[in-house]
Amino acid sequence: MLQVTSLTKTFRLARKKRDSAERTDPRERGRWFHALDGVDLGVQRGQVLGLLGQNGAGKTTLLRILSTSLKPASGVVLCDGEDLTRDPLEIRKRIGFVSGNTGLYGRLTAREMLRYYGRLHGMATAALDERIGFLSRRLDMERFLDQRNETLSSGMRQKVSIARALVHDPEILLFDELTTGLDVAAAESVLQVVTDCRGEGRTVLFSTHHMDEVDQLCDGVAILHEGRLCFEGGVDAMRSETGESFLDKAFLKLIRPKTEETQ
Amino acid sequence: MKAGFRIVFFKEMRDILRDRKTLLLMIVLPIVAVPLLLNLLIGFVMKQEEEARTEVLEYVVFGAAHAPELAKRFAAADGFEQVSLGSADELAGAIREDRIDFGLVIPEQAAARLSDLEQATIEFHYDNASASSKVEERVGDMVEAFNEELTAERLAKLGVSSSRERKAVLKPVRLEEKGTGDLREVIGDQIGGMVPYFFIAFCFMGVVYPAIHLGAGEKERGTLETLLLAPIPRHQLVIGKFLAVFSGGIIAVLLNLASVGTWLAIKAGEFRGVLGSLIGAIDTLDLVLLALMLIPVAAMFAALLLSVSIFARNSPEASTLISPFGIVLIVPAVLALLPGVELNWFWAWVPVTNVSLAMKELLKGTMDYSMLLAIFASSTLIAVGLLFFCAKWFNRESVLFRV
Repeated sequence: MLQVTSLTKTFRLARKKRDSAERTDPRERGRWFHALDGVDLGVQRGQVLGLLGQNGAGKTTLLRILSTSLKPASGVVLCDGEDLTRDPLEIRKRIGFVSGNTGLYGRLTAREMLRYYGRLHGMATAALDERIGFLSRRLDMERFLDQRNETLSSGMRQKVSIARALVHDPEILLFDELTTGLDVAAAESVLQVVTDCRGEGRTVLFSTHHMDEVDQLCDGVAILHEGRLCFEGGVDAMRSETGESFLDKAFLKLIRPKTEETQ
Repeated sequence: MKAGFRIVFFKEMRDILRDRKTLLLMIVLPIVAVPLLLNLLIGFVMKQEEEARTEVLEYVVFGAAHAPELAKRFAAADGFEQVSLGSADELAGAIREDRIDFGLVIPEQAAARLSDLEQATIEFHYDNASASSKVEERVGDMVEAFNEELTAERLAKLGVSSSRERKAVLKPVRLEEKGTGDLREVIGDQIGGMVPYFFIAFCFMGVVYPAIHLGAGEKERGTLETLLLAPIPRHQLVIGKFLAVFSGGIIAVLLNLASVGTWLAIKAGEFRGVLGSLIGAIDTLDLVLLALMLIPVAAMFAALLLSVSIFARNSPEASTLISPFGIVLIVPAVLALLPGVELNWFWAWVPVTNVSLAMKELLKGTMDYSMLLAIFASSTLIAVGLLFFCAKWFNRESVLFRV
């Protein structure tokens, strides 16, 4: 499981921005931009947690910290009881990360790319080839496995990205806006992977703007607003707390009081 | 399990070598374009010289009757054709308009002066602004030959008839040059400063594209973030990338040197004169030593450009940031051309300049081989320093996730 306690992340503001008189974002304080401010959340093994928030709310920053590519300013992230920052190399073996922006090496084929990441994770050739065979069948990638990535469609590319994140068989999966830019069929098959991951007992943290995906997949929801957690609970709690049956409206109600408070 | 840097290195090499632009810059350019350019350049220079030497020069003579012997000489010589012109006043205009190549004006008193054993003056009109023109040289040769004939006649009249006596009268003291520098040294000094610049430029070009592709290119494609999540230490990642960029530089240098070497071996016999001795002064061992010295230079460039590239947000920004380095590089290379800058224990530690100076010494054949050690040591130290910096750079969030 994944446990996040009092997590904060600050970025130094550019001098120009610092000196500018117009400061519209309450997260800009002094020389720092407080991207995350005291975030606490937890995801149980075999659960899918939906991470919601407007653009710039801090979702990607949070996922980047959890994936170890960014270091937190303060706070603790425990991955099955182990501190994430203490031995990031070991933790990385347990984590798979895909975002809508993660790309592929265009000049490599899907198979070569999966082999590359498998080797970086220390996998032996036989086990790696077996795993690639398994993933390509499961993600229906066999027909384009030996094509160069630059020739693939968006849907195919996203499948390769997901296979890349799964190649080392990680326990925790971090998905950042996984279905952005995909057509309905491609999005559907990608979401099936998330369902399968849950079925296999993996821990999934899943950021999205699509409430139907939340409704369909998530066991719990965490809403970030301007770097702070403003809601954590089930999908049903989201509806009952706001009195809205549509999740879009419930989401807006949950962040609106905060927006009004900060203005 | 293979070391992380080897996995990264082999993948990056595969990626680089599948790119047409890189292949063009790194492989096709040296193999095809460099010999072709050399051929064109040298061929053009030789053709120009040949043309200037054999071209028929059209000329006019005013007052041919005052020095008929001289006029006859010109009329009889190959490569000169007499034409007519209204008056001597039109000479400047006719030369400017390219109607004639030169004009001679022999004054009336020339005949009397020549017969009285005095010096006669003849006006020689030509276009002295054209550097490649051989008019002056060819007319000078004709007049010189005429002078020699007259001198012999005049001296004979004075009773000096043997060629030994003639020499003694004309030049009582002769300065015999005993220069300590042989031809190779003289030529090495002249071109030795230029050659390294070209090879340093080739080396730089070989490094630029892989550096952009493996640094800023990773950010642009969105692959950097996933690569940073690989469970290998960051320095291994940097070393793998560095080795791939460095290999790009080495391949470019080796191919360029091999290409130039082969070209020289095939063409060496074809050149005459200064050009021939200039080319003859370079041998295979020199080219091998040149390549050896460029290895740490390629390493310096690779570490430096990879650091710049990973700082950039995307490839165009990386190109913009890297281009000033191409110009800055000229400075240490040109330093080696300045008079008084010689390879010594001080200059041996100045990067790029030291390699330029050493190449000059190699081409001159006067290399102090103990200096090679200092040059290698200084370039390698700087390369290691830059690589260390690059690894630190790869650990900074503000560099990797620059917005």
